Amino acid sequence: MSTDDDRGEGIDEGRALVAEYALGLLDAAEHGPAARRIAADPVLAAELRLWRRRLAALDHQFAEEAAPAGMFARIERRLFGAPAPRGLSAVWGSLALWRAAAAGSLAVAAIAIGISLVEPRVDPADSAARLVAAIEALEGSGVSFVALYDPEKDMVRITAVSGAPMPQNDYELWAIEGNAAPVSMGVVSASARMEKKMPGDMQIGEGTVLAISIEPKGGSPTGAPTGPVVAMGKAIAI
Amino acid sequence: MRQNPSRRLASPPALGLEQPPMASDPSEIVGLLQRVALRDRAAFRLLYLRTSAKLFGVCLRILKDRAEAEEALQEVYVKVWQRADRYVASNFSPISWLVAVARNTCLDALRGRRPKGEDIDLALEVADDAPGPEQAAAAAGERARIETCLEKLEPDRAAAVRGAYLDGLSYEQLAERHNVPLNTIRTWLRRSLMKLRDCLSA
Repeated sequence: MSTDDDRGEGIDEGRALVAEYALGLLDAAEHGPAARRIAADPVLAAELRLWRRRLAALDHQFAEEAAPAGMFARIERRLFGAPAPRGLSAVWGSLALWRAAAAGSLAVAAIAIGISLVEPRVDPADSAARLVAAIEALEGSGVSFVALYDPEKDMVRITAVSGAPMPQNDYELWAIEGNAAPVSMGVVSASARMEKKMPGDMQIGEGTVLAISIEPKGGSPTGAPTGPVVAMGKAIAI
Repeated sequence: MRQNPSRRLASPPALGLEQPPMASDPSEIVGLLQRVALRDRAAFRLLYLRTSAKLFGVCLRILKDRAEAEEALQEVYVKVWQRADRYVASNFSPISWLVAVARNTCLDALRGRRPKGEDIDLALEVADDAPGPEQAAAAAGERARIETCLEKLEPDRAAAVRGAYLDGLSYEQLAERHNVPLNTIRTWLRRSLMKLRDCLSA
């Protein structure tokens, strides 16, 4: 990397480099070393945060332009090999798929939820309906849980079906409602049955998504999932 | 292969009169990113619908070529899918993060940068502990601040800063555009950047 002797006197070399990095002015040879230097230096990293926050105020000057049709399908092909079926419920709601998953004939993890529907919009005649969720195995994790809702205690009972306890990490259970952010239901054991309350005033119902992520011991330090998600299921009526 | 710098003058620097960055509510984008980190493909589709026009706009403006911008946009969303978990651990404005991912991807293509292994640019992008300018009022304040500070620079230097950030111009292109030798432009732009920095941190 060049020094500041050819860049004018009195300029703080480190600070100037961060500004150039933030603007994207560095060429291919300079860019990587600059990134590593900034990552290793808390003062320069703080300098970068200042630039990023301030420069982001120019982002509104990028005019929106509709992306060409078919672009998302191309992205899905790159990521997953095939576009997703329209509407997750088509797959997740498929009882046949769930049965196949439960029988272990597909490489999927399953979360089954037995539940009495307590939401007022539900027809009382359906109140004995059970909810179940089945999902594709997430990157071959081999981790699956079964969750049962106990309406008398208002608790979700959760038991690992497969998946080993991890000495360095914990499994954490998350509930997701609609477009809302995941809400933690706490750490769950891979070796013992546990009972968990729905968080806050959330109620489990059809469409509630439960997910398991791998987190540091004691659970996510941030209140949001930080580790890989190894199992996920959406409650549906069967 | 690239169009020459004079053609790139076609994008006029604008002065804060446009629409807000995106019609979408930032908290909705945060929720979608969190679900994408949970490998929720329905959320990924929704995130694409909400944000792709903005990010395609970024790619088009920087790359100035539709085919290249389309290729870059795909790479952007591949990264978003793979790295959304890096974002959710941070506190940064979700839209700013997405724009930063798009800018980085386009600049990688433009400069022939080859990020290998863990993408350190993305790691740096999420390393933020301060909340982003989520509130409309705060965002308006940030816009006023950078416009005020840019106005304190000589006009050609302010234009160079905008050209670098918004159009991805390199030092070579800036030198040509401003008809200044390469080593000179680096010196004067660095000086201007330090002046801008002092104003922005005041």
